[in-house]
Amino acid sequence: MKNSSLGILLPLLGIAVLLSLWSGMYIVTEGRQAIITQLGKPVGEPINEAGLYFKIPFIQETKFVDKRILTWDGLPNQVTAKDKKFINVDTTARWRIIDTLKFIQTGQNEAGAKSKLDSILDGATRDVISSQNLVEAVRNSNSIIEKIEEKKAEIERKKKAGEPIVEEEVSGEIAKIDVGREQLSQMILRKAKDDLANLGIELIDVQLRRISYEQSVEKKVYERMISERQRIAEKIRSIGKGEKAKIEGRINKELKQIESQAYKQAEIIKGKADAKAAAIYSKSLNKNRKFYDFTRSMEAYKKSLSEDTKLILSSETEFFKYLR
Amino acid sequence: MKYRSHGGTPPPPPELQLIANFLNKFKAPLIIVLVVLIGARTSFYTVEPDEEAVVIRLGRYISTQGPGPHFKIPFGVDDITKVKTQVVHQLEFGFKTTDSRPAVTKYSKREYVRESLMLTGDLNVADVEWVVQYQISDPFKYLFRTSQPVKNIRDISESIMRRVVGDRLVTEVLTTGRAEIAGDAKMLMQEVLNKYDMGIRITTIKLQDVNPPKAVQASFNEVNSAKQEQEKMLNQAEKSYNRVIPEAKGKAEQLIAEAEGYAQEVVNRAIGDTKRFDDLASEYNKAPAITEKRIFLETMESLYKRMKGITIVDQKIKGLLPIFSKQEDVK
Repeated sequence: MKNSSLGILLPLLGIAVLLSLWSGMYIVTEGRQAIITQLGKPVGEPINEAGLYFKIPFIQETKFVDKRILTWDGLPNQVTAKDKKFINVDTTARWRIIDTLKFIQTGQNEAGAKSKLDSILDGATRDVISSQNLVEAVRNSNSIIEKIEEKKAEIERKKKAGEPIVEEEVSGEIAKIDVGREQLSQMILRKAKDDLANLGIELIDVQLRRISYEQSVEKKVYERMISERQRIAEKIRSIGKGEKAKIEGRINKELKQIESQAYKQAEIIKGKADAKAAAIYSKSLNKNRKFYDFTRSMEAYKKSLSEDTKLILSSETEFFKYLR
Repeated sequence: MKYRSHGGTPPPPPELQLIANFLNKFKAPLIIVLVVLIGARTSFYTVEPDEEAVVIRLGRYISTQGPGPHFKIPFGVDDITKVKTQVVHQLEFGFKTTDSRPAVTKYSKREYVRESLMLTGDLNVADVEWVVQYQISDPFKYLFRTSQPVKNIRDISESIMRRVVGDRLVTEVLTTGRAEIAGDAKMLMQEVLNKYDMGIRITTIKLQDVNPPKAVQASFNEVNSAKQEQEKMLNQAEKSYNRVIPEAKGKAEQLIAEAEGYAQEVVNRAIGDTKRFDDLASEYNKAPAITEKRIFLETMESLYKRMKGITIVDQKIKGLLPIFSKQEDVK
């Protein structure tokens, strides 16, 4: 009897020891953290390091939560920016559980935390975006304005140098920004951070993933873009026509210059030569005036009277002296 | 285990009874052999050349192993996760490669428009498609720092691309800014990912199709055609300039050359004429009367000889028409 009861007890005891060992042992894997609860109440410090741990079997329980950076993805929000522009804002955020105790005490699990994040972050996003003009959420700096200035200077320089310009005007609205995209994210982050800290959550960052025009606004923007492009196209064409006219004008100017210059030079050359010839003639002829008078007359008769000339001559002329 | 025959059940066949007896006899050694076999089977693993393996022992990170065969503690003590660290992974934004097997890769764009439409700094809209290529630089961090590494990369990429495009003019985005945008985006993205310390290294960001939104594409094309028109007009004007001006210059030189020729001629003639005259005059001066006479007669002779109709009137003869007619045909 004694032996047989021991024979039953011993294995039972063994099983009991194994079971309590099994129940008293737990593993915290990488990327997780745990807290021990005793009859529902948290006991001791949260366990943040991965590894094998022991607890009091049967009485204490382990609760695991994620230690990794978690992702929150909100639904696109319809927001009206300060300048009355209707936009859709789509944000994402990264967060993690830093205070396991608080996280569990406030009755959270990951699904519950997501819905809290939804309401807190949506609210913060809405508040921040609607307090600013749209452009603050689009641009991050004023570098675009500097670029426009550079472009304008470049066009001016080209105009001065007389180079042909293909002007492409800046389109859309370029307003100076005071805050900028990254700062807006930071503002949302700061706004939501404290509320989330109460839940044991650290908000790491908020990213403005997409910002787009509301569909009805989008249509108007497209119309504006189209009319702007058409205006720019017209301008480019008319600049082209202007440049062409300039060149044609230059052709006429240079043509007249060249032609008149040549005419002037030719006339001067001819005039000088004529004068020189006249001087030569007069110098020589002046010396023998009478002889010139006579020979030149003779020559003139020869040249001016042709074969067909009919002459009626008196026999009294010197030439017919001997005919008489 | 022992089989006892109960009233209704027939005894098992003797062969099975034999096997059962054998198993009963060697219970303990058999279990040991089985355990050893399973242990041996599960205590080594191979890491492929493009992989690294993260070893987790009882939940805790131990090491990262490179390619080759490795041992581990079996029975769930060591947990091995293999990560492709040498592979370049690609994420596509605004389109998706649906099938890269055929010769022409197929893309689908329709559903991804929302991903690629973004606001530019001048509050216009551009349709920007891009790819991000990354490598896992630290497999442990990749596995355990963030819960959704790929989603994080996607989210950050979208956010950063919009930030970079948001600081530029629509024309810059569509034309000259491509390389700069990709470079800036890569740098900024890596910065953010480093903050998460998630073991990702961005290797490349490449812009793919960058277009104005469909609805406004035609008007953008119009600007391009206007530019070409402008160029054409300028070319035409330059062409006619090049045709007209050199010709005019040539003609001008011709005119001047002709004038110079004329000048030479006039002066030379004058010199020739006067020289001849001077010589003649000096002879004339030696005997003016007779020379004059001679020249007069010679001139008249040559003059009258040529003429066909000369009428000589003798004033002394009255009444009659005193005509001596020198006419060739009468002669």
